[in-house]
Amino acid sequence: MDFEMDFAKGLEGFQEEVRQFLEKNIPKEPRAVASEPYTREEWLWRRALAEGLGERGWLFPTYPKEYGGGGLTVNHAYVIAEEVAKYGLMFARMCVSTVHNSGATVSAPCLLLWATEEQKREILVPMLTGKTVTWQLLTEPQSGSDIASTATRAVRDGDEYVINGQKTFVGGPYEADNFWALVNTDPSAPRHRNLSYIMIPANLPGISVYPLDLVTADETRQNNSVFFDNVRVPAFYRIGGENEGWKVAATHLEYEHGGAGTPVAESEALQQLFAYCKTTQFRGKPLSKDPEMRDILADIRVEGQVNRLLQLRNFWKAYSKEGMSYEGSQALYYRRMSTLRNAQRVQEVLGYPAVISDSSWTPGDGEIELFVRHGFGGLHGGGTHDVDRVIVARRMGLGRTVQEEAGEMV
Amino acid sequence: MDLSLTDSQQMLKASAADFVKNEIPQRAITEFSKKGIGITPEMWAGAASLGWLGMLIPREYGGGGASFSDAAVVFEELGRGPVPGPFFSSGVLSALTILEGGSETQKRELLPDIARGSRIATLVINDPNPFFGPEAVETEAVESGGDYVLNGMRPFVHDAMDADTFICAFKTGSSRYPEQNITLFLVTKDTPGVSVRGLRGFVGPIGEVAFDSVRVPKSAVLGAPNGGWPALDRAMLKAIPVLCSYQVGACQQVFEFTSEYTRTRVVFAQPIGRFQRVQDHVIDLSIHMDGARWTTNEALWKLDSGRDARASVHLAKAVASEGYYQACNSSFEVHAGIGTDRNHPLVPHGMMSRMLYQYLGNPRYHKLQMVDAEDL
Repeated sequence: MDFEMDFAKGLEGFQEEVRQFLEKNIPKEPRAVASEPYTREEWLWRRALAEGLGERGWLFPTYPKEYGGGGLTVNHAYVIAEEVAKYGLMFARMCVSTVHNSGATVSAPCLLLWATEEQKREILVPMLTGKTVTWQLLTEPQSGSDIASTATRAVRDGDEYVINGQKTFVGGPYEADNFWALVNTDPSAPRHRNLSYIMIPANLPGISVYPLDLVTADETRQNNSVFFDNVRVPAFYRIGGENEGWKVAATHLEYEHGGAGTPVAESEALQQLFAYCKTTQFRGKPLSKDPEMRDILADIRVEGQVNRLLQLRNFWKAYSKEGMSYEGSQALYYRRMSTLRNAQRVQEVLGYPAVISDSSWTPGDGEIELFVRHGFGGLHGGGTHDVDRVIVARRMGLGRTVQEEAGEMV
Repeated sequence: MDLSLTDSQQMLKASAADFVKNEIPQRAITEFSKKGIGITPEMWAGAASLGWLGMLIPREYGGGGASFSDAAVVFEELGRGPVPGPFFSSGVLSALTILEGGSETQKRELLPDIARGSRIATLVINDPNPFFGPEAVETEAVESGGDYVLNGMRPFVHDAMDADTFICAFKTGSSRYPEQNITLFLVTKDTPGVSVRGLRGFVGPIGEVAFDSVRVPKSAVLGAPNGGWPALDRAMLKAIPVLCSYQVGACQQVFEFTSEYTRTRVVFAQPIGRFQRVQDHVIDLSIHMDGARWTTNEALWKLDSGRDARASVHLAKAVASEGYYQACNSSFEVHAGIGTDRNHPLVPHGMMSRMLYQYLGNPRYHKLQMVDAEDL
């Protein structure tokens, strides 16, 4: 066993190249408050940054070159992940997210596995090169954790599908180019044999997008409702067979449910908390030396470390092609509950500043208040934490003689 | 033993429930929570006409002279909203602080106005540190030419934007007993050098009060110099169970709409309340709610019957603040996505629960005060 993360070893030249690119292409001025949505101007440079990364194959570094990926190793990907993290950009599921691109991060592996060569050329290449932004559209008002009950209807009409229905709690701020959606293509068929996956160009007539007003909103997060009113989508955009969407979903959900893991799992808010507690003096000593506070900080630290290692295990399992079973949902469940517990601990340590976003009274510029809000609001994305537990139990084969298998991953 | 409400309390409860339902509907509460504000003039006038702003103020000072359990009945209904605004900070905590610490002149000058709602007061206690108690008040007031000069930035003042009168704790003494070092000053918002700014976040209405060379005469001292904390302590002992009852009402409301959701939300072809995992969240919620309710009720009874209530009051604050916080978490576990929509009634509760968790000391502080009081 070797926990040494020597990903950058031998890649110093590459690392320098990435650093210089980011230095040149990311504006210096920081945002006013991290806990509030960014401007359209910022969204535009973030999109341009995605294209710049995409040109170099750095947006999806490990994906095949022929489809716009970088054809690079996991080590290269880790170097990129480390460098973009310095600018507060996310690297998850082997992709840099400069803007909300949920559809791409989960559909890219699905497309690799399930799309035809022609579909890959038309959809995957612009996605991997950062030319398109894709939102995933799964949740519906009556279909959240029970995603197999998807009701948005797609009726075949010649070479097109006519789509009607509503998706909600989806997407990010500003616009997308494509929607990666699960639709019902046969309401009379049994469960799991009635759904299809389809890529829907976002500019088609009959689509309307309404922003939601959620407590989870922040600089990059903004959910919407998307309505489809007789939207005609070429059947070419269906990925996988008609009514075979559940197979594609198995790949999709494996990624969404944390199966990919991450080698960088340290929350920025918690890093700020520790730095603040070490440097801020009360009653003549740093807050971190107050015995009660120290005890609470230790609990936060322990859960942070367990979370980091579960994520690291998943990362290793996914990319060394070790078999996966319950690990994705287990790590996701732990991270969610731990964030909820740590949100309370953070408030115990900081007091009011934990729930106030005004930078004159809270360390950083609102990340900690955001962490607390996410403790409240981060339990349900991609299925509730209760569903996480159902999946873990099934994968472990609790009370069953046959264990459920994990979805196929790239 | 009889743990029920009296007939007159039942009537009070019904009229309070009607007022909250009719005058402060859910959409108003959602708007307040989105904007971070507390009250409208109509709401305040309505509450004043019902006598709610001075319930605990003796009749001789223009109040209603009600018992603590009577006041609790009203605050339980306000908590259901959760109705924001200075009902507690002005009508209960400030009024009791003036009663416990003020001179006869101060009582006559301030209390009738508070009772009729023409004056809104709130306490300025916290300094920019995460602690509570007399030793956590670190900003000093300086005596100068027969006056006091107040300087400093005081954050986390509940209902700061609605208040016109601040009762401010400053450090004035250097005794080794921290509770003998605090002086309370009465400072009106229009005093030169005072400025107020609202703060945003995952909280209810809260703000900072800045003191820039604010000069106040000796007559602005509430009671005696260095005698502020004991007065405040006596006031908090009486006020806190009323605040707890607000949290109990809030838990009750959260419990009711959460239980209802388990009956109406259908997932996997059945109401989610049939799933034991979902039931467990509501059961946890109910335990937090009932724990808050009965610790609060016992503290109220001890106050009303003249018993030593100290340990019970700290117990109630610890249990009710933790209970409201956890009740919101449990409810969120049941609601998932829809519970994060700012238009859903759970969101104002989530925000209010985080704010009241801190108010007048967090649960950890009160647990320790409780065992101190029990001489454990």
